[in-house]
Amino acid sequence: MNAPVDERLAALRGSAKRLDYNARSLAALQNNPRCTLRALLDASGSDKAAIAAHAGHPSPFGQSVFALARGNAFETMVKDNGCAELVRVLRETLQLTLPEVGYEDLNNVGGDGRAAVRHDRTAQVLLQAARGDGDGTLFDHPMLRLRVGGHEAFLEPDLVAFRIDGRFHIVEIKSFPILDGQADPTQVRAATTQACAYIIALRDLLARAGIDGQAVSDTVVLVAPKDFTNRPTAAFVDARKQVAALSRQLSRIERIGDLVDLVPEGLTFDLDLDEEQRPRRPAGELTASLDRVLVTYRPDCLNHCEMAFYCRSRARAEASLDVLGPVVREQFGGIDTTTMVMGLAHGELQPSEAQSEMADALRHAARLRAELEGLGGAA
Amino acid sequence: MSDPLDALEKSISTLRRAIRDASAAGDTERAGELRMQLRRAERAWDALVDADEPATAPPHPVPAAAPAAQGSQLPAREHVHRALMLLGTPAAPKLIVGVHEAFFPGELSASKLSSLRRDEERSYRSSPGARPYYLCPALAHDLLTPVRALITISTWTLDQRVIGPLSPRVDFLTSAIRIAEAVRTSAESTAGGPGPEALRLLWRFAVNIPDALPRSVAGHEGAMDPQQVIDAAGAELDVHADADRAARAEAARRARKSLKDDQQLFGAPAQGVTYLRTARA
Repeated sequence: MNAPVDERLAALRGSAKRLDYNARSLAALQNNPRCTLRALLDASGSDKAAIAAHAGHPSPFGQSVFALARGNAFETMVKDNGCAELVRVLRETLQLTLPEVGYEDLNNVGGDGRAAVRHDRTAQVLLQAARGDGDGTLFDHPMLRLRVGGHEAFLEPDLVAFRIDGRFHIVEIKSFPILDGQADPTQVRAATTQACAYIIALRDLLARAGIDGQAVSDTVVLVAPKDFTNRPTAAFVDARKQVAALSRQLSRIERIGDLVDLVPEGLTFDLDLDEEQRPRRPAGELTASLDRVLVTYRPDCLNHCEMAFYCRSRARAEASLDVLGPVVREQFGGIDTTTMVMGLAHGELQPSEAQSEMADALRHAARLRAELEGLGGAA
Repeated sequence: MSDPLDALEKSISTLRRAIRDASAAGDTERAGELRMQLRRAERAWDALVDADEPATAPPHPVPAAAPAAQGSQLPAREHVHRALMLLGTPAAPKLIVGVHEAFFPGELSASKLSSLRRDEERSYRSSPGARPYYLCPALAHDLLTPVRALITISTWTLDQRVIGPLSPRVDFLTSAIRIAEAVRTSAESTAGGPGPEALRLLWRFAVNIPDALPRSVAGHEGAMDPQQVIDAAGAELDVHADADRAARAEAARRARKSLKDDQQLFGAPAQGVTYLRTARA
């Protein structure tokens, strides 16, 4: 990344402290790569949560103490007593042999929990395992590092399991249930997305030591409660496609310069915080700045982006079809707003040549609906 | 229960010999220091002999038994000590509370345990050796720093208190055997048999040990046999025991060489310091 771009990004962020990419912003990157606002905010390291809150759309997302507590409790339960439950589950799925129970706790290094220290220790321990030394099989909370757009981001998988025939597996411990071998696809997808970043980071770590990336499996091990019990079970999730997608997105971050060039000169998302971390910038001015950048809202943004509520209200105000999700949107190629859809359906708007086919379909649908309503009224 | 006692007796006799040597050499300062260690070891031995009794015969549902009534009045550290002596391995607060609830009367909560650990270290530092035993953290095998979540007893040997890569599993299997033994003893010695908490605790261990539960239709939990758990855990233990013992012994040797007395109990403070000291030693 070249210097002028960095300067422009720093100007966008303003006086606030730079935030690094984390597993969540990487997930957002993968789920909605086309969103300009997200790309700019993430690349500049702005505090999306604070900006959204000041713009009047605080995101309650990620704040559910119950969900967090439940997730942590389940993870603790799985790892209790020397990972007893986990060892059983992994013996069943990964066919770990009896002697493979070595456990390395990487949550802190002799009481030191700083990310950089933990990363060094992780690198040391994992490389040792990759070279075939030591008894390590389960690595608890290793600290990985990934270079995103010229900045380091620290990532922390739940667990990395190492099998003796030479491959590392990322293990994600999640508290949503696997019912009859099936889990909620959205949640599995979110978990896999997270795991992809870990796979890429772990490969990167090994590559720096000259070890082939094939040592890290593309398959993620998902550990989750079985059916309606609290006992864990495991499933393999193939992450090959998502790993490829995320790798591509990461390489494209370098092209953030193109986006920055499109942004009006002098634009900033600075909150101008005072000593007590209260924003001094008028909310209206901030919203005006945000409004000048293109957003690509999708309903599933609510799952991973702090700005989602702002984008949704903006999409609603513009009567954009984005609010209805990609399935609806794709049906109406070339038509952007609900007002236009309604206008065409009621014949109030004259369709252009490209829209004529769509307009016919809409009018037909409107007729059917009117008929049904008439029937309903009669009955 | 005899392992730590044996080790203590051994260290008592070693200390006696060392005192004799030191006084023969006229090194009074060293002899005095050794005498203090000896006294501490002897006190620990006394405490251990006393503590052994309830552990070998868990007084769980003994009706109106005097020790049970006394047990509920004990301070928290005694409760923890008793649970740890039953397990014979470093254990997390949650497991200690679990064992306590399964086999002993009285109240013990995990929150009490965390404050207890701080108190123990403070008490040791203000007057080392004043108590017969201290509750202290396990030590990590590589950095010899305290392992936060695991509690041990100061009278155990360093080998027992060090945690190597295989130790979590070895300790898990060992605790499973100890709990199964306790369940069996209480089944034989008391009319009511082991309480439901004890059986549930054993079951939680048994499900994660290969072949520890009888192969039967699901839902037959009552068929769990402590002897089968002991055998299954013993079988897996055989696989890990040698490697684990070697790693622990090596780390313990290093700890004895490079750490001071208090650090052998409460762990090396930070990694940088350990490295320096090892380099100098």
